[in-house]
Amino acid sequence: MLLQGKNAVITGCLKGIGRSTLGVFTREGANVWACCQCSDPSLESYISDLSYQHNVWIKPIYFDLCDHTQIKNAANEIHKNKNQIDILVNIAGMTDDSLFHMTSMDKMKLVFEINFFSPMLFTQYISKYMIRQKFGVIINISSISAIDGNPGQFSYTSSKAAMLGATKTLAKELSGFGIRVNALAPGVIQTEMIEGMPDDIFESFMRKSDLKHAGKPEEVAEVIAFLSSDLASYITGQIIRVDGGIG
Amino acid sequence: MVRLLQNKNAVLTGCSQGIGKATLKLFAENGANIWACARKPSDDFEKMIHELSETCAVEIWPVYFDLTNYSDLKEAVKTISSSKRRVDILLNNAGITYNALFMMSSLSMMREVFEINFFSHLVLSQYIAKIMMRQRSGSIINISSSAGIDGNPGRSVYGASKAAIICATKSMAAELGEFGIRVNSIAPGITHTRMLSSMTEKVINETLENTALKRLGTPEDIGHTALFLASDMSSYLTGQVIRVDGGM
Repeated sequence: MLLQGKNAVITGCLKGIGRSTLGVFTREGANVWACCQCSDPSLESYISDLSYQHNVWIKPIYFDLCDHTQIKNAANEIHKNKNQIDILVNIAGMTDDSLFHMTSMDKMKLVFEINFFSPMLFTQYISKYMIRQKFGVIINISSISAIDGNPGQFSYTSSKAAMLGATKTLAKELSGFGIRVNALAPGVIQTEMIEGMPDDIFESFMRKSDLKHAGKPEEVAEVIAFLSSDLASYITGQIIRVDGGIG
Repeated sequence: MVRLLQNKNAVLTGCSQGIGKATLKLFAENGANIWACARKPSDDFEKMIHELSETCAVEIWPVYFDLTNYSDLKEAVKTISSSKRRVDILLNNAGITYNALFMMSSLSMMREVFEINFFSHLVLSQYIAKIMMRQRSGSIINISSSAGIDGNPGRSVYGASKAAIICATKSMAAELGEFGIRVNSIAPGITHTRMLSSMTEKVINETLENTALKRLGTPEDIGHTALFLASDMSSYLTGQVIRVDGGM
């Protein structure tokens, strides 16, 4: 098991890639602080099934990424029992479909708040503990559209691109403390985020894709598990596209 | 322990030393049966693969040929295909290093470097991909170099051959994707192998200074990423170049 005995913080566990990552991490032996916005009965039963099945602990942590006090309290709650925090995976985020000229300043600020500022604030808190223990892995989930651009997703792609710059700088700043920082750029993955995607756009992505099919959230989660594990101990500052070969 | 390559069969080139040797061990430990390719037989090599196959309970078949001798290469492929086994993984690792200033690089050396680092890999990949296309699945991994992305003084020829393999990786991924074949490349940074002896201490120290993790890579570091790319963990990853360089 790749993550045996490691403790991980995962945000955005309610659905999609976050939920799959929770599943793969526990299968690989990790204990998890499962973060999401609010309590949810289906997540709680999933958590109890996983922890029983894989003999690990999973602690739900609830906080709203718009609320900086809640973010701080969540970090305190995670640190409360002084367990080592080996891995932080920043998955939680929001999508926003609007053309550049139609995007209000309020919307831009909200998207950056959720996709960039808040995850970075949370990362500051968590990485402080990692610096003290002189070990850690941070993984940020970005998007291929942050690299390639995507018409109609101005605020989303810009906020995800900011994440890439942060990843590279953090890799350099934190390497002296034994902390690796990498980012993933998923392509078209079967989650709620692509449910609103018009068929013609979906088809054009599939034509461009080498593997000719959309990815499963588990396939992204497996890559996150690899980067979090000691198998990737010489990989830092990288952006890995998990997109079935687009562009 | 879960073995990531259980029941898979892999072709590995350049197995007698360095990254190839480390990867051979990791693949065997993870349950793969292996055609271990090397240029020529040696007692040490035979002993190593024999011990490895016993400890890991896998089959390892040595295959000897010179990559630049295409009739030998073809014979080697025949040996592999006549076994009628699946070929799930191809790791193109064998290669040579060459350090010379651009103005001092001879045409004959340029041709030799490209012959070993580029053409022979493509020819072998053509043969093996044909088997993979028939079975409609496979993972091909090409070992490139950070020198093939960044460009370094004294590395115009070597770097260019490694850049060529990156471009080939992307085109192969695009052409072979619909047959369920994934093609990816690894770009190691400075790695602790025999190739290192061709670099001056000054260059090594300067590079280490610019490496976030402040250490050299090990052959195992590269082997671990090859293991990931060979396994089903990377089933949605293709056409990529993964830098395993400690953050350069």
